[in-house]
Amino acid sequence: MVSKLSIILFSGTTDKILSAGVLSQAGAAMGSEVRIFVTFWGLLSFTKGEKKMMLPKEFEQMGPVFMQGMAREHVKSWYEMIMEAKEFGAKVYACSMACGVMGIKREDLDPIVDDMVGAAAFLQQAEGGQTLYI
Amino acid sequence: MENFKIIDSRGSACPGPITDLARAYRNSKVGDLLEIWATDKGVRADTQAWAAKTGNEILEVKEDQEKIVIKIKINKR
Repeated sequence: MVSKLSIILFSGTTDKILSAGVLSQAGAAMGSEVRIFVTFWGLLSFTKGEKKMMLPKEFEQMGPVFMQGMAREHVKSWYEMIMEAKEFGAKVYACSMACGVMGIKREDLDPIVDDMVGAAAFLQQAEGGQTLYI
Repeated sequence: MENFKIIDSRGSACPGPITDLARAYRNSKVGDLLEIWATDKGVRADTQAWAAKTGNEILEVKEDQEKIVIKIKINKR
């Protein structure tokens, strides 16, 4: 039986997106079928163009320490992590409703996104597996 | 003919080593031996979890001053 890991990525800050990246890559390496459903603030980092680093207000002053630590430990970017997960079959979906609300069109989405889907499609794919809300 | 392959993941942070292992596993066959070298401390528990999940076997775990070495036998493809 193939196990499944489904992640609802709601948050838009880099720290949380990084967590989603780590777990997607680890899940994919473990042989799980990984699905990432990107919605609301998460979508801001899944449009084409440069990915800006964003930290929650209360941790903003930790930015330089965070970046230095990432470099020192050779931690990859969340984008590279998701790309590695995709190498093992992970899929990234953008929430169609949130895209509508935020005025994001299919062609605005980064190529890392496989498709724009609705909540029902995601729930159907996630059924019977492990689901995380980040 | 069984193969023996060293996966050098030294310097790679979690989940890098386990991904390198999964990549090597993809090109392996039953009976092969894989040996992963890593410096990330999470590799012990991660490799054990990976082996349990994929039905493969940890033969040996060693640690010296600069790396952790884990030998894995591929029992299932």
